[in-house]
Amino acid sequence: MKKILGTSLFVIFLISGSYAQTDSIVFPEVDKSPMDMSYCPVNFPVLKISEKVTGSPFIRVIYGRPNKNGRAIFGDLVEYGKVWRLGANEATEIEFYKDVSVDSKKIKKGRYTLYAIPGKNDWTMILNKDTDIWGAFKYDSTNDVARVTVPVTIIDNPVETLSMTFDKFNTGFNLVIAWDTVEVKLPIVLK
Amino acid sequence: MNTIRPAIIAFIFLIAVSCNDSAKKEAGPPRIQIKDTSLAQGETRRNPYSPIDVSPMDMSYYPVDYTKLKMTGSIKEAPVVRVIYSRPHLQGRELFHGLLNYNEPWRLGANESTEIQLFRDLTIQHKNVIQGRYILYCIPHESTWTIVFNKNIDTWGLKPDATQDAYRFEVPVKKTDNRIEYFTMVFEKAGAGANLLMAWDNVEARLHLTFQ
Repeated sequence: MKKILGTSLFVIFLISGSYAQTDSIVFPEVDKSPMDMSYCPVNFPVLKISEKVTGSPFIRVIYGRPNKNGRAIFGDLVEYGKVWRLGANEATEIEFYKDVSVDSKKIKKGRYTLYAIPGKNDWTMILNKDTDIWGAFKYDSTNDVARVTVPVTIIDNPVETLSMTFDKFNTGFNLVIAWDTVEVKLPIVLK
Repeated sequence: MNTIRPAIIAFIFLIAVSCNDSAKKEAGPPRIQIKDTSLAQGETRRNPYSPIDVSPMDMSYYPVDYTKLKMTGSIKEAPVVRVIYSRPHLQGRELFHGLLNYNEPWRLGANESTEIQLFRDLTIQHKNVIQGRYILYCIPHESTWTIVFNKNIDTWGLKPDATQDAYRFEVPVKKTDNRIEYFTMVFEKAGAGANLLMAWDNVEARLHLTFQ
C-alpha cells in the first residue's frame, strides 16, 4: 500500500512537473532590430514563385537591422577600427550558392560570417568560416577566408535602418550596405 | 452653399467607401499570393535600399540559443536544426476568424517561405529525414496540423506543389490560455530529442524530432 501510494505520488509529481514545464515556456521577445534577408538576384524568392527564374540564387545575406534612432552611428555607436557584426544580434551570414571571387581570392560556395571593420574613409570587410554565432565577441581571425578594403561613399539622404541589397556589374554583384550617411560596396565576382 | 453641399456628400461617400474597403480586407480569407503582408509605415518605409517588413524575420536554433552558446564557448559542435521564419502578428484579429482557414495551406509565417535547415539526418515520426534545406508549410485543421517539408526553397509565399513535397507529418493541436501576439517558432528539449513548437494566438502544435 505504501509502495502504491509512493508510486502514485511519484506519477503525480511527474505529471505536475511536466505541466509546470509546459507552462513555463518562455517565448522569445520580438527583436528590436528585426532580422531580414536579401537575395542576389534581388527579390529572387518573388521571381522564383512567379516562375521568372528557376534554380538557385547566387548569394543571400541574413542580418539584423538596427535603427539609427537619432544616434550618431559611425565613429560613435559603431567604433572605427573595431570588428563589427555588421548588424545586430546574430552576426551577419552570407551564403554563396556557387564558388565566387572576392578581391581575386577564390571563395568556395557555402555559408560564411561577414564582419566589417568600419573606418572613416574605408571599411575592411571580413569573410570568416565560423558561422551560426552571436555578435562579434568571439571573432577569431584564424578563421578568416578573405579580407578586403572598400571605400566609403557619403550619401545625401541618411538611411534610418541598416540596409543591404545587391547591384550588378559586368562580372558579378556588389553587396551594397548602407546606414546613416555611409554606403559601402563589396564586389563579388561570379565565376 | 450650393457647391459646398455636394462636396460634403462626396467627402462622406469617400470615407464610407474607404471604410468599407478596409473592412473587406480585414474580413477576407487569407489569400495565398505573393505580397500579402504590407511593409512598415512611416519613416522607415522610405528606404531606397530595402524596405522594412511589418512581420519581422527571426530564426530559432536547436540547441536553443545556439549562437549565444557558441559565442560564450560552451558549445563546439554544429547545430542540429535551424528555422528562419517571419512573424506576423494578430493586431486585434483572431487566428481562425479572418487570418487562417482550416484545410487551406499556410506558409507558417509571412513573406519569404519558412525555411528549415537540418544540419544532420533526423527521425520524425519513424521516418528518416535527410539533412539539408526545406521550406515548411502547414495545413491547419481543427484538432491537427499537417506539417509539410517541401523542396521548393528560396521562394516567397506559398504555391503548394505536392510534387515537391518531401515529407508530411500530422501533429496534434493544443488550445492554450495564452494569447500569443506574434507567431512564434522555437525548439524545446524533449527527451533525447527536441520539439519544434509552433505557437500563435491560443493554439500550440509540436513536431517531435529525434536525433540519430
